[in-house]
Amino acid sequence: MEASQARLESAASSAAGGRRLLGAPALFVYAGAALAAGLLLAFWYAPIDASSMGFSQKIFFYHVPIAWAALVAFSVAFVAGILYLRSSDLRYDRLGLVGVRLGLLFSLLVMGTGMIWGKAAWGAWWAWEPRLTTFLIACLLYAGYFVLRSMVDEEARRATYAAVFAIIAFVDVPITFFATRFLPEGLHPVVLRAGDAGMEGSMLLSLLVSVLGMTLLLAGLIRLEYAAERLRDEIADLKDRLGEVGR
Amino acid sequence: MSAAAQFSAILRKDLTRELRTREVLVSVFLFVMLSLVIFHYAFASEGNDLTFFTGGMLWVTFLFGALLGLNRSFAQEKDEGCLDGLLLCPVDRVTIFLAKTAANLLLLLAIQVVAVPVFTLFFVERSYLGDLPLLVLVVLLADLGICALGTLLATISMNSRARDLLLPVLFLPLIVPLLIAATSATTAVFAGDTGLGDLTVRLVFLAAFDAVFLVAAYGTYDFAIGE
Amino acid sequence: MADPDQGHSRPEIEVEGLRKTFGRREVLRGVSFQLERGGFLAVFGPNGAGKTTILRVLATLLSPGSGSVRVAGHDVREDPMPVRRAVGLISHSPLLYPDLTAYENLRFYADMYGVEDREARIDELLDRLELSHRRYDVVRAFSRGMRQRLAIARAVLHRPKVLLLDEPHEGLDPRAVDILDGLLAEIRADHTFVMVTHHIGKGLELASRVMIVDAGRVAYEHAAGVDAAAFSAVYREHVQEGSAL
Repeated sequence: MEASQARLESAASSAAGGRRLLGAPALFVYAGAALAAGLLLAFWYAPIDASSMGFSQKIFFYHVPIAWAALVAFSVAFVAGILYLRSSDLRYDRLGLVGVRLGLLFSLLVMGTGMIWGKAAWGAWWAWEPRLTTFLIACLLYAGYFVLRSMVDEEARRATYAAVFAIIAFVDVPITFFATRFLPEGLHPVVLRAGDAGMEGSMLLSLLVSVLGMTLLLAGLIRLEYAAERLRDEIADLKDRLGEVGR
Repeated sequence: MSAAAQFSAILRKDLTRELRTREVLVSVFLFVMLSLVIFHYAFASEGNDLTFFTGGMLWVTFLFGALLGLNRSFAQEKDEGCLDGLLLCPVDRVTIFLAKTAANLLLLLAIQVVAVPVFTLFFVERSYLGDLPLLVLVVLLADLGICALGTLLATISMNSRARDLLLPVLFLPLIVPLLIAATSATTAVFAGDTGLGDLTVRLVFLAAFDAVFLVAAYGTYDFAIGE
Repeated sequence: MADPDQGHSRPEIEVEGLRKTFGRREVLRGVSFQLERGGFLAVFGPNGAGKTTILRVLATLLSPGSGSVRVAGHDVREDPMPVRRAVGLISHSPLLYPDLTAYENLRFYADMYGVEDREARIDELLDRLELSHRRYDVVRAFSRGMRQRLAIARAVLHRPKVLLLDEPHEGLDPRAVDILDGLLAEIRADHTFVMVTHHIGKGLELASRVMIVDAGRVAYEHAAGVDAAAFSAVYREHVQEGSAL
């Protein structure tokens, strides 16, 4: 029964997986610091927006970084999908899953903050504005990713399909954004416009600090979630092995 | 054993089968006709001008109709275990994709050849004969995108537990951009609003969409049809 | 029709350390065997032992998880196309389209394999398998035995060098068994066979080697030439869990 001995040893070593969680908190500390700094800068350093939006424009300093983080998370899933298809390494499948999950979470927050801003700026909770609409469609799209995963039982096949879908979905998002502009003109407040030096330096600085904070937060969450998925897989593995030893 | 010969063998097999059973043609055609009747009662009351809605009505109908057909396109392979027979053949997987896409495209076109004139009779007031080539172009470009992306996703969902549920969940959000462009381009033709600027942008967009997803399918189909 | 680059020394099938997992379930745990050209390997084992998985890997329908698998001199992972050309598979399901006629089915597969003398070959096989009179009938209307016969025609249509048989006698009527055995005997000399079966008598009668697979491993492998009673004892000795014979 040396085989079961080896299994028990490998079970003990997986406790080391728990220790890997410790990398994440450091990132959360940095993220917290950057986000707090961004908050302070946004409210006390950046000027009140000169246009009609006034004070409500402050949400911009969260709305945009969250949207940025959502797109980063989806691109992580996209790259993980390509890497999985090239390697068949299940670690990339796990990374892709975490990327889509966090991307979806952040997209929901984008819509939430967008709706709050919309209510303040245009007096309506919802408007079919291209960027907001794109995020709505992206949410529906990536929700399908989880339906797909839940309907394929075999692990390698599930990972393959999930990777293919994450790649296609990521390609689709910018196309959707382009297409939404075929609708009548948008209402989105334009704070940063291409070609025009535009935003005041103080606004830009506050924004960049918040973007940095949000990116760090995302990195920490990816790490945490990845470690959690890893442990989940290990637990399932151990359960299987226990069942086998018991037989 | 050229890829072209294999392409036509698969296409021929699928069409022979469909013409014999008429499973997809009949049910999709009936679905399309019923949708038009329902649209009439939903939208058209006395003196309502539906012109602005025609593009949307047409494409929603075709999209869901195509979905029915796409669900069936791999069902026979899977249910009868024929997929193994197909995969045993020394055939490039992309050839399978192209042949299946072509089969789905031809079925959709066969339905549209009848359905578009009926739709015109029911809902379109303007005679758009002069702009017919434009409409044909819009329909062809949109159909190609629907069938290429749909075939790729039908291949994936074929191997899932509830394929007829999964396909729409994956397919519909991805096809939204194409639907938006096809809808507004079709409405423009029906409304006689065929100033070249906007319409050209939409046509180019549709062609680009087709190209992007044909390339994406080319790169991923081996994995989609997989083991 | 042998490849000129292929000497007679090289085994037709070489499997080395083949492993395959489905998710967390390890179905094959290091299977190795070789089969010389013209050999006939009969594979026995309880249900779920991994016999069909081995066949599907040889047929390129499944990728080998790890280890190397070469069929007709080509690696199944690196170079699947020549393997597919060299292999014919008779499996549980006939791999026929029920809404197409016998002729249409064979024609489809002939085109897929690029069979040059298509019409003559189809005529010959339909005749050989006593299906000529049902040539233009849809397969849906065929009995199980007739479908299986047509499946045999489908599998040998492109003159494969290697035939993979997954319980080919299952569900056949006596007449079809005779036809199948006759056909196998006829092509026995210049083909290589791997047959998975529960049928000890049939297996021993045809085979040049026998192999028992249990729990994803080769539990026993030997040149044929044992009688059925002796082999049954060997089988029981090597397969601990329930006897599936």
